[in-house]
Amino acid sequence: MVKYCMLLAVTITLASCSDTTTEMIPIENPEIGFTIPANFPEPNNAVYNNMPTQYGVELGKQLFFDTRLSTDNSIACASCHIPSNAFADHNAQGIGVEGRVGLRNVPAIQNLAFMNFYNWDGSRLQLENQPLVPIITHEEMDSSILEVISKIDGDDTYTELFRNAFGDDEITPERIYQSIAQYEYTLVSANSTYDAVMRNEGASFTESEANGYATFQQKCASCHSSELFTDQSFRNVGFPINPSVDEAGRARVTGDMNEYMSFRVPSLRNVAYTAPYGSFGQFETLMEVLDYFDTGVIAADNLDPILKNNNNRIALTTQEKEDLLAFMHTLSDESFVTE
Amino acid sequence: MKNLKKLLFVAATTTALFSCSNDDGTPVANNVTLAFHNTFGDETIVLGDATDASATVNTSEAGQIHHFAEAKYVISNIVLVEADGTEFPYNINDLDNGATVVNLADATTLTYVLNTIPAATYTQIQFGLGVRSDLNTLDEVSNPNFYALAGANDTEMMWEWGTGYRFTKIEGFYGSENETLSVHTGSTVEGTQDEEDTYTQGVDAYRTITLDLTTAAIVGNSAPTITIKADFDKLLSGATNTITLGEDNATPNIHTAASMEQFVDNLGGDGTTDTHGMFTIESVTN
Repeated sequence: MVKYCMLLAVTITLASCSDTTTEMIPIENPEIGFTIPANFPEPNNAVYNNMPTQYGVELGKQLFFDTRLSTDNSIACASCHIPSNAFADHNAQGIGVEGRVGLRNVPAIQNLAFMNFYNWDGSRLQLENQPLVPIITHEEMDSSILEVISKIDGDDTYTELFRNAFGDDEITPERIYQSIAQYEYTLVSANSTYDAVMRNEGASFTESEANGYATFQQKCASCHSSELFTDQSFRNVGFPINPSVDEAGRARVTGDMNEYMSFRVPSLRNVAYTAPYGSFGQFETLMEVLDYFDTGVIAADNLDPILKNNNNRIALTTQEKEDLLAFMHTLSDESFVTE
Repeated sequence: MKNLKKLLFVAATTTALFSCSNDDGTPVANNVTLAFHNTFGDETIVLGDATDASATVNTSEAGQIHHFAEAKYVISNIVLVEADGTEFPYNINDLDNGATVVNLADATTLTYVLNTIPAATYTQIQFGLGVRSDLNTLDEVSNPNFYALAGANDTEMMWEWGTGYRFTKIEGFYGSENETLSVHTGSTVEGTQDEEDTYTQGVDAYRTITLDLTTAAIVGNSAPTITIKADFDKLLSGATNTITLGEDNATPNIHTAASMEQFVDNLGGDGTTDTHGMFTIESVTN
């Protein structure tokens, strides 16, 4: 009986190999998910409809680093979202094809699976809707999705990756968006000194870092809250205003004057890697940001109440600033930027 | 066999005749031309740069003079309605074949021909100013022609950052100092297609325009032309809002915030008490 079964199995195997009409044997493409660090909030609902798979992530990464996404093949996602800068860059404002300067500072790409809003103004609510924006924006890649598809169509690497990730080698816009999002979902950063201290992994803060943490909790954590170091709210904190006529902050999306020049509270994880700071890179250094808050911000009707109630400033002593800087450096995740 | 062929020929001929006309000889379908007459009041708009003396100057209700250097708008979702309420939707889910950009600087865009409209007597036209949210996704694969038309350098009817189309784009000047007037409208809503409750943020700038035809459009032997007046006087002096231009609303960075909706309501109606905005029927020629 065993012999018979084996024979049968061999026959079937032979048959399926020699059958020329049969499609290629489907590749196993396991869901690999991503790490959910302790105390992180629930992922964005969209993640559950697009869970990272082994080949989906591989394809997304290939696309993320491919300069053919730009019209003149000069700029990839990774050209501005540089891994060693926590996927931000060092320009004040994003620089796209032909040196064109964009509206805003390039945001870091990290822990995006846990975000409910994307971009400085929260214009996107799910990551799959984001990749088209830089692809078509004049100051970024200035291409179109059909132009991108025409360039990568027929490329053996992509043929194989699309087949492995999605079962056949058809290249569609949705598959491009989904795979890039899958790759980005896997970019989780939670291995900083801060994390090691909080998880009792044997690390500890220096005295300055500990003092900085105390000041941080007192004067910063109402906005830069949770393990993401942002409460994901939109606030006008009275920073110098972007002179571009296209800038209105969150109000550009919501049409609500109360959100005029309000921006998403940025995460402070890996903040030491992402200078300059502010929605259009107003500040060269973190110390400049702290000095600005201490000196006083620009008044506005919709200035954040916390600032309004404190004479439009966050008063900080020189010592507090130094300690805060020391603490913010403990949020650097070396393993994230060297992967 | 020969008979069969003959029979088939007769059948084919009959079918062919049938599809061209009714029993009484009128065609079963014909074209309808929409002609857009863009005015300030009764005066056809002439575009012009800041100091161009030939440009048509308008004065708003608030007393501000203004003129345009550029004006464009998107028309989509066109429906012709018979007296009994029967609707004929014209390629309403297909922007390539059912939507157009009216550009005052390009005479060829001032008429839009609706092909093969079923013979009937139509008493109302409805259309959208802008693009319905479910189609407003810059889907280049489904609508390559409209995408190319809207995205062309001399058209610029796209909001890349919002992955949607611009619905209206007006550039011009106001006041004695010729200060910049720049009105851009478009939707910023975002959500999952066909899932209403996922649209949790943003402004829906799409407006449905409903116009009763002053003379019924009789499609059949005739191919009517419906002339639609777009009176841009309403931009600042609309049924919903009287707008005074100033530092806080004349350029996009401010008006995208609060007053974009005011401009939208003036141009396209507020959707409740005003369902025609700047549009009226000027004439119907059968």
